[in-house]
Amino acid sequence: MESNQPETGAPSAAPMAPLAIATRQPTETVSTEVVFDLRGVDIYYGATLAVADLSMQVNKNVITAMIGPSGCGKSTVVRTLNRMNDSITGFRVSGEVLYHGHNMYDAAVDPVEVRRRIGMVFQRPNPFPKSIYDNIAWAPRILGLKDGLGERVEKALRGAALWEEVKDRLKGSALGLSGGQQQRLCIARAIAIEPDVLLLDEPCSALDPIATASVEELMQDLKNSYTLVIVTHNMQQAARVAERTAFFSLDVSAGKRSGILVEYDDTEKLFTRPSDQRTEDYVTGRFG
Amino acid sequence: MASEPEPGHPVAGDLRPTFHQELVGLEEQALGALDIASEQLDNVLTALASHDLPLARLVIADDDRVDGRYLETHQAILSLLARQTPVAGDLRLVAALLHLIMHVERIGDQCVNIAKLIVLSGPDAPLEGELLAKLAQMGAVASALVTQCQKAFRERDLPLATDMLEKAADVTKLNRDIFRAALAVGEHPDSREWATYMVLVARALERIADNAIDIGEQVAFVVTGLFQEFSESFRPAIRTGMQA
Repeated sequence: MESNQPETGAPSAAPMAPLAIATRQPTETVSTEVVFDLRGVDIYYGATLAVADLSMQVNKNVITAMIGPSGCGKSTVVRTLNRMNDSITGFRVSGEVLYHGHNMYDAAVDPVEVRRRIGMVFQRPNPFPKSIYDNIAWAPRILGLKDGLGERVEKALRGAALWEEVKDRLKGSALGLSGGQQQRLCIARAIAIEPDVLLLDEPCSALDPIATASVEELMQDLKNSYTLVIVTHNMQQAARVAERTAFFSLDVSAGKRSGILVEYDDTEKLFTRPSDQRTEDYVTGRFG
Repeated sequence: MASEPEPGHPVAGDLRPTFHQELVGLEEQALGALDIASEQLDNVLTALASHDLPLARLVIADDDRVDGRYLETHQAILSLLARQTPVAGDLRLVAALLHLIMHVERIGDQCVNIAKLIVLSGPDAPLEGELLAKLAQMGAVASALVTQCQKAFRERDLPLATDMLEKAADVTKLNRDIFRAALAVGEHPDSREWATYMVLVARALERIADNAIDIGEQVAFVVTGLFQEFSESFRPAIRTGMQA
């Protein structure tokens, strides 16, 4: 410090290598083609208004995350997107749930056809107690897609980044796979019938960090071919994987207890400068 | 740390009190570094006014305190980022603190530069009253800016931060005045040498003011989420002053 040279730059505890100049990656262009268009949607379980006045759009080939506290209706919403709630007694939807412009809840719409186009992966991997091959081939067989079935199975397993790990034991039980492999198998099973959309409801909550990372990486690959909607409790997972994030909360005013969409924006904005104080409070952990 | 619930919140309360207390402590640690830098600035201005070479040497030695606080705070920020993954307003604050602590360290460096110039001018420097008076004025403004940026940051006071531009304009004017006064200091080589050192002192004071303004800009970022230089028209002016 006794040198007569001017003081410049930061002090260093140890000699430092020259700094590389960081360059900003160009912002990816997010598709604006609308897959789901929800307009004024109310979702009821019996007399209970579970989700109130929901309006949002989901864009093609984009990963959209839904976050929010337990009970805010995010799983209800995602299950509404492929009519998985239809069998629940008292379930009712009002408003419009449009899929490529068609009302999914129109009486003429076949729920089976809806689910063929809109696949779903659940919280816990749920492979059938069958071989790996038969798990993937099951839905194509049901749908009569029997030509080139072997190729279809391989394509699905490659799409789910599982092929290299299982190609030598396709006749082995799916239940012998690890948790992460089982979840990727379920993703392969979902994409084997070439859907348009994949809905993922807490797909990593039962997985360890390594398996979680493999599923998250897979999602990045899948978005080139599919539109993905993921429900997650893990805010950092939403921040890591999704281009768009919807924050749901509970409206408990006036004796109500309904899920509401508070804020829906680019993930980067939602996690750096959210517009709504309720979002800020939730993501920073100041309110549950 | 728990605060009152807002209407519409299903559950009230701070879910991450340890993290938020750590963040508050980190901010105080960073703002405390500005106290050390302010003390360094006051000392070097005193040394300049009274041509106190021992005090100037003390300022040079005490730079280790600023540097030490910089390294401690920088490490604490990295640790917090790695462990707590702050987002939204918390993330903006942490990012701003990284900038702030860097600017504080640079203010400390400029104090050292001034101190070295005092020492370099020697015990028998031909001091000239008008130049010293203007440097004292400039130093007072720079000192006020350092205090003001600290207060604006601590209180998230955006008007107070933007108000710093008014004082910064004085810095630009004084910088020019000092350059002209140095040109007019006379023909004697010793006087010219000392006056040249004083132009460099003015340059260092201008840099201190600019670092304080940069901290003010971080106040705007924390509050609004948007980064914007306070005044594009102001900055070229101050740089013209530097180069004059």
